[in-house]
Amino acid sequence: MTTVTLTINGAEIVAEAGLTILEVARRADIAIPTFCFVADKPADTPCQMCVVEVEGQAELIRSCVGLAKDGMVVTTESPKVVAHRVERLSILAETHFGDCKAPCNLTCPGQINVQGYIAHVAKGQYEEALRLVMERNPLPFSVGRVCPRFCETRCRRILVDEPVSINHLKRFVADWCMSHEIDLEIPKDAPTGKRIAVIGGGPSGLTAAHFLTRKGHDVTIFESSPMLGGALRYGFLEYRIPRDVLNYEINTILRLGVSVKLSQKWGKHFTLQSLKDQGYAAIYIATGAGVDVPLEVPGAVNPHTYSAMKYLRRMAEGKRPDMGNKAAVLGGNNIAMEVARTLIRQGVAEVTVIYPRSRIEMPAHQRNIREAEKEGVQFLLMASPVEICDAGDQGSRLKLDLIRIKLGEPNAKGVRQPETIAGTNSVLHVDSIVSSLGQLAVADTFSGGPLEKSITLSANKTIDANVRSSQINIDGVFAGGDAVSGPRSVIQAVVSARRAADNIHAFVMGISKDEGESRFNFTRGKGFDDVDLKNFDGINVKLREKMPTRPPERCSQDFNEVKLGFSEQMARSEAERCLSCGCTAFDRCHLKELSIDYNVNLNKTGMGAKPIYAKDFSHPAIVVDKNKCIFCGRCERVCEYDALELAAESFDDKGRPLGLSLRFNDNCVSCGKCVDNCSTGALNKKAQIIPVHNELVKNVRSTCPYCGAGCQIILRVKGGTVIEVTADPAQAPNYGALCVKGRFAHEFIQHKDRLTKPLIRKNGMLVETSWDEALDYTARKLFDLKASYGPDSIAGFSCARATNEENFLMQKFMRTSIGTNNIDHCARL
Amino acid sequence: MASLALSFGSGAMTNSIADVKESDVIMVIGSNADTSHPTIGLRIHQAKNNGAKLLVVDPRRTGFADEADLWLRLNPGSDVALLNGMVHVILEEGLWDKKFVDDRTENFEELEIVTAKYTPAFVEQITGISEEQLRAAARLYASPGKKCAIFYGMGLAHHATGTDNVKSIANLAMLCGKLGMAGGGVNPLRGQNNVQGACDMGALFNTLPGYSGLESSDAFDRYEKMWQVKLPRRKGKAATEVWDAILDGDIKGLYIMGEDPVLADPNAHHAVAAIEKLDFLIVQDIFLTDTAKMADIVFPAACYAEKDGSFTCTERRVQRVRKAVEPPGEAKADWEIFCELSSRMGYEMDYEHPEEIFNEVIQLLPQYAGISYERIEKVGLQWPVPNREHPGTPVLHIGKFTQGRGLFIPEDYTPPTELPDVEYPLILTTIRKTPQYNFGSMTRKTPEIETLCPEAFAEINPEDAARLGIADLDEIEISSRRGEVQLRAKITDRSQVGTIAIPYHFAEVPVNNLTLNSLDRLSRSPQYKICAIKVCKVEA
Repeated sequence: MTTVTLTINGAEIVAEAGLTILEVARRADIAIPTFCFVADKPADTPCQMCVVEVEGQAELIRSCVGLAKDGMVVTTESPKVVAHRVERLSILAETHFGDCKAPCNLTCPGQINVQGYIAHVAKGQYEEALRLVMERNPLPFSVGRVCPRFCETRCRRILVDEPVSINHLKRFVADWCMSHEIDLEIPKDAPTGKRIAVIGGGPSGLTAAHFLTRKGHDVTIFESSPMLGGALRYGFLEYRIPRDVLNYEINTILRLGVSVKLSQKWGKHFTLQSLKDQGYAAIYIATGAGVDVPLEVPGAVNPHTYSAMKYLRRMAEGKRPDMGNKAAVLGGNNIAMEVARTLIRQGVAEVTVIYPRSRIEMPAHQRNIREAEKEGVQFLLMASPVEICDAGDQGSRLKLDLIRIKLGEPNAKGVRQPETIAGTNSVLHVDSIVSSLGQLAVADTFSGGPLEKSITLSANKTIDANVRSSQINIDGVFAGGDAVSGPRSVIQAVVSARRAADNIHAFVMGISKDEGESRFNFTRGKGFDDVDLKNFDGINVKLREKMPTRPPERCSQDFNEVKLGFSEQMARSEAERCLSCGCTAFDRCHLKELSIDYNVNLNKTGMGAKPIYAKDFSHPAIVVDKNKCIFCGRCERVCEYDALELAAESFDDKGRPLGLSLRFNDNCVSCGKCVDNCSTGALNKKAQIIPVHNELVKNVRSTCPYCGAGCQIILRVKGGTVIEVTADPAQAPNYGALCVKGRFAHEFIQHKDRLTKPLIRKNGMLVETSWDEALDYTARKLFDLKASYGPDSIAGFSCARATNEENFLMQKFMRTSIGTNNIDHCARL
Repeated sequence: MASLALSFGSGAMTNSIADVKESDVIMVIGSNADTSHPTIGLRIHQAKNNGAKLLVVDPRRTGFADEADLWLRLNPGSDVALLNGMVHVILEEGLWDKKFVDDRTENFEELEIVTAKYTPAFVEQITGISEEQLRAAARLYASPGKKCAIFYGMGLAHHATGTDNVKSIANLAMLCGKLGMAGGGVNPLRGQNNVQGACDMGALFNTLPGYSGLESSDAFDRYEKMWQVKLPRRKGKAATEVWDAILDGDIKGLYIMGEDPVLADPNAHHAVAAIEKLDFLIVQDIFLTDTAKMADIVFPAACYAEKDGSFTCTERRVQRVRKAVEPPGEAKADWEIFCELSSRMGYEMDYEHPEEIFNEVIQLLPQYAGISYERIEKVGLQWPVPNREHPGTPVLHIGKFTQGRGLFIPEDYTPPTELPDVEYPLILTTIRKTPQYNFGSMTRKTPEIETLCPEAFAEINPEDAARLGIADLDEIEISSRRGEVQLRAKITDRSQVGTIAIPYHFAEVPVNNLTLNSLDRLSRSPQYKICAIKVCKVEA
């Protein structure tokens, strides 16, 4: 073998003569990017990404064609090379049209793979759907019931009819897994030996405990109440989150192996110092925002005036304070709505919410306001309390003095502050008042010891924690959730806690935090106005499934759940409404990967604005979206059957194809190799509808279960599901080739018709039984037959699709346990 | 498999799939690998495109026939006559490899005697192949000094004379010295992923694992010592003989792993009648098959993606199967079920992992002696692998046959058991379609596969269709002496005149209600490929 010696990126490499620079570099583990490269089949219109700089040559050369020569000095990432690649990528980006991630996904504060779990629901994979949700949100039962649903506001289906009922689907999968007693078998890393204390067992504390436990840490939650749940238990009453559901949800987290100490009050039973002294490597403060802003009007302190949190907690604990017949709720936030609806359920005949601005300006979600109103809550707007007095014997307990409000001139920030209108006082007779004027993390300062006192607070009485590191001003102490942000939605507490868990993990392990996901994202339009309606050609109107809901007049009478949940059929039907905006090639797109590597700025380059080509669903197993095609031509050149034709009518001034056509010829055998080789999401498998973001996917190498060719396959497994099957081009005996069965026909694995329990015939019917009964019965029957008629009265058929080990054992069983050579298999059939 | 073992000493594919790119001539007989072994079919097409000559022997106009340099469309079931005719011509024209025959084979004289009468004229009478085509085929295959490979499939084996067919192929290959070299060989294509392995492991009525015959007392001694038990030395019954034994009252209990004879067996009514007579039926499967519905006990089994183990593919390559996901519900891997059941029957099987079973296998099977899970972690090894250092054997019989000398076993042509007559004037042959597999229990669960191949059509030659007044997509009824099926007709000259082909993947068209349980006398394989039928149109 003749060799050449060259230098690539400063390293001297001896290589076989006659190879290209690209090949030499690859063999030396030096990656050179390329879109179009297919071994032995050069592209007619090369992508030019593989250019390198060769010393002494003015022009960059394409490494896929340039031969490695003796003495060459090659640089693969010089500024000139990088500039060229950025230019190439920018040209492609300018017209690439599609969404990397779906808008729902991008809008969700939890960054949950929304499209992914909806797709799982559409496929009937509810367990997998929940597993995917739990990757980022361990509270799907609660969030599925109380989430303000940021995602649904951005759902593109609005442009066709109505958004997909995303949150109801989340609740459905959670409830389905609960009623089917599914153990998700969430994996846990090996124990790290690190102990972590979590103060507070509400949404934020539970979430942090969940993620930290998964990382292998030993977590203890310190909870001041006798039960876990925090705001989920004491902020939402049973009609929002039933107690059995909440307990199940909490237990799912605890089952991972979290220790819990209940009725442990911070500052009384323990302090930060005592936790540190006990050897906790980190402390996470997740005490929420449970302190009401006090009502500061004369007469506010009386036995019939409550703060919102105090009232809700009493109700949650089953102590029903006497609220009389008429109650006023002061404040317009979400908690005020919960209070009002709870008062109605308690039997208070007249409940009035009083708020100094208009309805649209109330901080509560409009959906909550509407629901309160439906249940009979009244609203007195543009009014503010002035004083509370004892009503004496005027038919009520209290007299609430109110004044009308107008909004003043906009201040410097453009905000119009409420101003009282003199002389508009009026009196409202009520028996009780609940104020919900906002919630704080702490009334004054934390107490318990010097460390507690030293905690830095923000102006609005929340803990001051670093946004990036989640650390507070004490080393090793972190905070998150409402304790830092003030009252927010549950999903926001979850996100904050998940980030904190990442930070705490990095801190205790002394490692740097995982780099966050890149925000690089192609989109078909950021706002609804930017989205071309041509995107929805051919999509028929199909309205969303209506959540079965108890009528307000009925549900306001008791504390049972208002919304009853989707049936399986409704969930499937709703999931099928998803437009699957995000790219299902998300995890394999080379264009995205290289654009991120080379810092392509889509704000500068721009991107495709409208679809030029309609999606083509005509192939039985493959969907074609030419709007994403970058004309690398790999699909055409990897096809071993010459069954795919990719062509362009002409090219624009930057060399991009116009009038693209991609055609499968009659000799296409649907083997799917073109899809596995697509540089973007232009080719997709119809069945692979679940985008994989940063979820863990296991690649399991195995052998195809069909014919005798012995093709090597790679099963791509997410959670407990085989999501796709591919092949390795370097692996004998098939070298990446598979037939349609090998690449597609694996849905039987997760098919609902699979046998899951032993069956036994009783009274002529096959009925389910236990393994013990089935095996004992079988052993006895075989034993009896042997005793009565001899071993040759029994025969066995082994199976040419079972493994060697199993065939070996079956013949061994027949020859030893039974004692016959009546063993054969179907090979001759 | 049985007959190649008699000829060569090993019943397996002699060469490797990748070899085909080195062949000068490729003879494909009784195989439509495009549908049955698509990735192997692909390599054959690619070799053809790169210049190899392609010789196809098939009554059906397959994709290979379309591309062939020479296509012999012989009468169904006349393969032995054709192969003997080729031998006759090769001898007559002196194209044979005298040195190979002298040095490496025995019983050549017998071959000369038996094939003497297979003159081109005689062969034409039986096969319908002209002298010109016969001579061309003989010359093409014999091509002295060239590397010629033979591939065959179930189109050759699924006959009452299946083993005669295979012996005749072995005769031809030995005569021309096309063995023991890359690019040559005799290559049976196994229909299912682990046919080779199931045979290697001794799931056979007539051999112990590793092909030790039941007459070998050495082997018995070895196994009895290893397993600490007295083994039965009486011959067992082949699967295809079991039904009669049940009907005769000799067999009372049947344990079926992963098979669905109610759909799969030839003359399926016969199998159903036998199953009904059983005292006790155990079925172990991943689905509740038609056979499982008749069982007394059904054990839910794990599928290939839910367990560890190994498969041995058609080129003798032992490769790993790996557990990717958990089995559904309480389903267990087959090996676990055997362990539990055996232990309850008083014979302890105490394996923790399939690797422990494999380690027992390699102690007993000389072909597997040098294989371990560790060695096949990345790439499988082709047996024989006699020791830990051995790199595996891509080509068998280099320099000498496994059994020493190759044995010519010439056979006379025997006509198929059931031939067309006045009442049943047509021939039925069963075929595969690329997207589907076996009886569809696995493939038909994937919607894309169903879109590609949703229905069984009776493929009927335009000439026959015109004569019978059948139009494309007409509903027709096909009956044999054993049963009938209804399906739609597809008119295509892929089917020979006088022959109707039906894929067997579809439970709604149980084509094995028609087929004949006539068995090969050596291997006991059934004659799926030929039975006599009649056709009538179903009036709407």
